[in-house]
Amino acid sequence: MNEWEIAATVLGFALIPCVLVCVLSPPAHGLVALEIAGVLIATILMLLSEGFHRQPFVDLAVIVAPLSLVGSLTFARMMERHL
Amino acid sequence: MNCRIVVATVMLIAGGAIELVAVLGLCALRDLYDRMHYVGLAGFGALLVAVAIVFRESFSLIGDKVLLVGVVLVLSGPVLVHTTLRSMLIRQHGDWRKNIEKAQENDPR
Repeated sequence: MNEWEIAATVLGFALIPCVLVCVLSPPAHGLVALEIAGVLIATILMLLSEGFHRQPFVDLAVIVAPLSLVGSLTFARMMERHL
Repeated sequence: MNCRIVVATVMLIAGGAIELVAVLGLCALRDLYDRMHYVGLAGFGALLVAVAIVFRESFSLIGDKVLLVGVVLVLSGPVLVHTTLRSMLIRQHGDWRKNIEKAQENDPR
């Protein structure tokens, strides 16, 4: 394992608390955890791309970053009144 | 050891540490508005990781895309925080703009 893969593994474990907050906390707190988890996932994909020298991972990160923004904005807007 | 590798490793560790601090803050703090502080911080960690990869790869195909992702994540942080806080404010207290309009109508000046 090189340093990039190790960092990706560590950040992968850091996703577990985010999932726990999403599951166990009220919806508003879960939204915050979702936003942080989106950043973590994009970072993990960047690290895997560099670690394995595979470009498709970074393409996934390019897609995940804006989609996580749009998803979080949609949830935030829906939670004003409907959820 | 090459200087670029050292700088890349230091930035990788710093970026990873910032993201871990963000997750730690999410777990340690209990109030929603306290937790919101760490969304923007996580984006800066991602940018540091992206810069570390650019130091290692230079401006290759991976380097350019990674830098784009890092910039997008940093810029999206404040937008997310503002939108989420605004939504939570409306969820808890209703639309505050109506109260402002009422107060302006009742103001004798």
